[in-house]
Parts: sequence; C-alpha cells; structure tokens
Amino acid sequence: MYLGLFVLLIWTLTPIYWYLKLAFLTPNNINIFPPVFLPDDMHFGAFFNIFGYDYTTADNILLPASGQASQVIRGLLNSLFVSIISTIITMIVIVPLAYTFSRLTFRFKTALLLTILLSVALPPISTLIPFFAMYVKLGLTGTKFGLIIVTLTITIPFVTWMLIGYFRNIPPIEKLGRIDGYGRFETFLKVFIPVSKNGILVAAVISFIFSWNEFTYASILVNGTKAVTFPTSISSFLFQHPHPQHLSASLFLGMIPPFIVAVFLQRYISEMNIVDPLR
Amino acid sequence: MRQNKEISDLKFALFMSLPVIFFLIFVVIYPLAYAFWMSLHKVSMFGGLKFKFIGFSNYLKVVTNEKFWDALFVSIRFTIESTILTLLLGLLIALILSKPFKYKTLIRSMIIIPWSISLYGCGIMWAQIGRGQTGLFTAIYHLFGGDDKVNLIGKNYVIELLALGNAWNLSPLVAFFLLSNISTIPKRLYDLADIDKMSNFEKFWNVTFPPLRFTIFVFTCITIVMSLKLHDFIFTLSQGGPGRVSSTLTYEIYKLSFKNMQLGFGSAMSFYLLFLIVGSTLMLYWLWGRRLEK
Repeated sequence: MYLGLFVLLIWTLTPIYWYLKLAFLTPNNINIFPPVFLPDDMHFGAFFNIFGYDYTTADNILLPASGQASQVIRGLLNSLFVSIISTIITMIVIVPLAYTFSRLTFRFKTALLLTILLSVALPPISTLIPFFAMYVKLGLTGTKFGLIIVTLTITIPFVTWMLIGYFRNIPPIEKLGRIDGYGRFETFLKVFIPVSKNGILVAAVISFIFSWNEFTYASILVNGTKAVTFPTSISSFLFQHPHPQHLSASLFLGMIPPFIVAVFLQRYISEMNIVDPLR
Repeated sequence: MRQNKEISDLKFALFMSLPVIFFLIFVVIYPLAYAFWMSLHKVSMFGGLKFKFIGFSNYLKVVTNEKFWDALFVSIRFTIESTILTLLLGLLIALILSKPFKYKTLIRSMIIIPWSISLYGCGIMWAQIGRGQTGLFTAIYHLFGGDDKVNLIGKNYVIELLALGNAWNLSPLVAFFLLSNISTIPKRLYDLADIDKMSNFEKFWNVTFPPLRFTIFVFTCITIVMSLKLHDFIFTLSQGGPGRVSSTLTYEIYKLSFKNMQLGFGSAMSFYLLFLIVGSTLMLYWLWGRRLEK
C-alpha cells in the first residue's frame, strides 16, 4: 500500500527533478557524463541571470547575465496581460452560455452543443492556418489583441463544456428566486451565480492556465515581436541561444502559477464534471 | 407583475447566448470556413498573400503524398500508445489514492503536478530525460554498472518516449475524475464482496470497475482527441525527429504551413486530420459508448 504510494510519487516527481536540477548547475557541470542524480555544487545563479543580473558562485565562477533577460521579463508581463484579459472575456461569454445549455431546453440545442464539442476537438495547428492568413492580411500578427482572440478559441469551448456539467449538478434553485419575485435575469444574477461561484472560479482559473501555457499560437503569431509571451520568449533558450540552465530556471518560474492553482484547486477539479454534458 | 417573467425558454436562451453564438461563429466557424476556402487555393506568401483557385487538387496531393501516410501512421501509433498508457496509469493512480493514508491532501497535490505543467515544458523536460548524453535512463544504466548511453530519442523508441511523456502529463487528470467516481461507490458493496470471499482482483472487476466504465469511455475519447491534436509537446521534445521518425500529422502540417509556407496544402491536410479526430471519436462512440448510456 505505502509502497504503491512511494512508487507513484517517484514516478510523478522524478521527471520534474531531473530537468529542474539543471537550473542550479554551472554550465560546465550540465553535460557531465554519466549524468548524476545528486550534483554537489548547486546554486541559484540561473535565476539571477534570466532577470539580467550577474552571479558569482561560491567557487568564484562568474555567471554572466543572460542577453535574453529583457525578452523574458517582457514575456512574463505580456503573458500575464494576455491570460488575464482572455480569462475575463471567456468568463463573461461562457457563464450565460453554459447556464442556458444546462438549464433550458430549446430547439437546436443539440446541434449547438455539438458545435461546441467539435471546437474542443479542433487541433490548434489547423485553426492557426486561417488565423495566420487573416492576421497577415489585417496586420494583426505580433499584437496582443490578435493573440487574445486566438486564445479564446481554446479557452471558450473547453471551459463551457466543463461548466455545463457543473451547472447541471446544481439543484434547481431558480424556483426559490421566482418565489422571491425575481425575474429570469435577476434569478440568474442574484440566485444562481452566487450558488455556483466555486465552479465559476475553477473555470476561470482553468482558462487562465490554458492561456498561460499556450505555446502553438504564440510561437507563430507573436514570436520575436513586442507581443512575445513567456513560453515563446524562453523557447529562444532552446533554439537560438541554447542555455540549458536558463531555460530550466525560466521553465521553473513559468510552472509556479499553474502549480499553485492546481494545488489549491485539486479538490474542486473533479467536481467540474466534464463527463456529464455528454450524457 | 413583472414583464420578463413572460419570456419563453427559447427567447431567454436566445437572449443569453446569441452574443456568444455570434462570437463562436466569428472565432470558430468563420476560420474553419476560411481554412476550407484556402484549401481550394494555391496560396503564395511572396509579395503579399495571393490565392489561385485550384479546386480539390490540394486534397488529391495530400493522399498521393508519401509523407502524409508516414505521418498518419506515426500519429495513430502515438495516439494508441498514449491512450492505453494514460488510461492504465490513471486507473492505477486512482486505485492507489482511493485507499486511506496519511497526509492525503499533500500527496494528492503532488500527484496533480504533472497535469499543471505546460505541454511545451513537458516536451523540454522529456527531451532531457530521453537524450543519451543527459538522460535519466543513462544514469540508471550506469547505476547498475553499464557504461553506455541509453538514447531514447532514436528511431526505435522516440514515439514510445513521446507517449510516455504524454501519459505522464494527462494521467493525473484521469485519475482525479476516476477517484471521484470511486468515492461514490457504497462501502456496503465491498462488505458484501467480502462475504462472497472475492479476491482483490474479483472485487476490482465486479465492484469498482463497473461504475467507472462511462468515465473511462469519455476519457478514452478525450485522450485520443488530445493526442491527435498535440503539437507543442512534440515540437519541443523531438521536432518530429530524428529525421521524420516522430513527425505526426500535426507536426507535418506545421512544417508544410509555416516552414514551407504552403498554406493551402497545409489546410487541406489539416482537414484530413480533423476527419480523423471526429471519425475516431464517432467510431468509438458507435462501438463502445452507445452501450454504456443509460
């Protein structure tokens, strides 16, 4: 029993450790062969470097600041901006939509629901082709506005789908609102939303994570421009200027927000019933 | 008497969702239609976008292209392996976590970490793990006295490495949903199973498994869709390499459209991918899901 848990934790955490240890190494030690499990001289140098500061290790090795620092910082800010704005738009759009789909029966409902499910299944790479052509025509490549629009094509369908399942499991409290003399809209705003705020919060957070982690669109539409996002800004450590320790340190930073969120929300995640809308 | 009480369901639904539906049309349907229109043209990027109508010849060009069939095969192999691994791992994790143990919240928080990591990040991580020079498997091999490199990003095992990494990322989510299903199984059933002197496996098969079947079906579909449309993970892990060994359909479409700038050809191929995705889920529903519905 505890052996199972132990193996499970090893399986989960080893890949993360194996990569993140690079962030704490000096460039000379990274390519040591054979690779070691526990390197001896670990330090926080790379974390200073990616923000544009030099760092001197205990053995007096100077680690120069990364030339990409300005890109990384800009990427962080842009990512934050794009993620927050697209989350807000997503939420404004989907809460009423999910509500109508989970609570009311009307014509064309199944057809519309299928359209939403179909858009969940659309590969980002195929959506990207028409958007790329349109953006080239409209001059929207390299803009945050353009990126937000495309990001919505990922967040809206998926989160709507999740929220429909969640709303369905909420008991029919609308009648209470009716007894208090509220109309439909007031019932929705003053009775339904407060009751379902947990689910709405989780949906918002998931849409934030989706846009925060979005790479495919950003790598084509905004890479190398002023609107560069964090994931694409650090990919330059991978291809153009390979610095494994900087890449690892930045990746570590990028993992923190989704990680915090996942830890806090893990008990709610399974409440978001993505299985339900299909029944 | 308030007037808006008189609004019918349909009118209310329209009022609430019409703006959204327009929005969806704008960001989903219109681009899709535009992509279809592009796939009927030869698109050239030099000196501004130019379109030349060529009918369905892009679609014909795809099916006569050897690279397409290779990529299709890679995609299918990767998807089948990913799906089996993800579901098995998810089920295993759920079963382990469903037993009572100490520090439950802490351990569950650690188990969910892989899911929270971005796919491009996972790709970078698993590239490091699989590579012979720096890899985890080389380190383990050396621990047991070997002195060679164990390189998984070679032509034999790179797809398996991709599937393993993909399963590592997806399985916690599957596990959490299965776990919430398991927790609704009444304890009484296990007591009854004890009276029947069932073995552990019989208990799993007759008591735990049946209520999970619908969730497993849904996640099989989700994993298939996610694996077929996966791009960034493959892009950062192997760039479709070595050679074209791990070049899935998504990667092939990426290369055609954004490296060779053959946008029309690329969108034609992406419609084949879309048919594959929709087709495989429909087929799965037809063969399996239909029977599970209540």
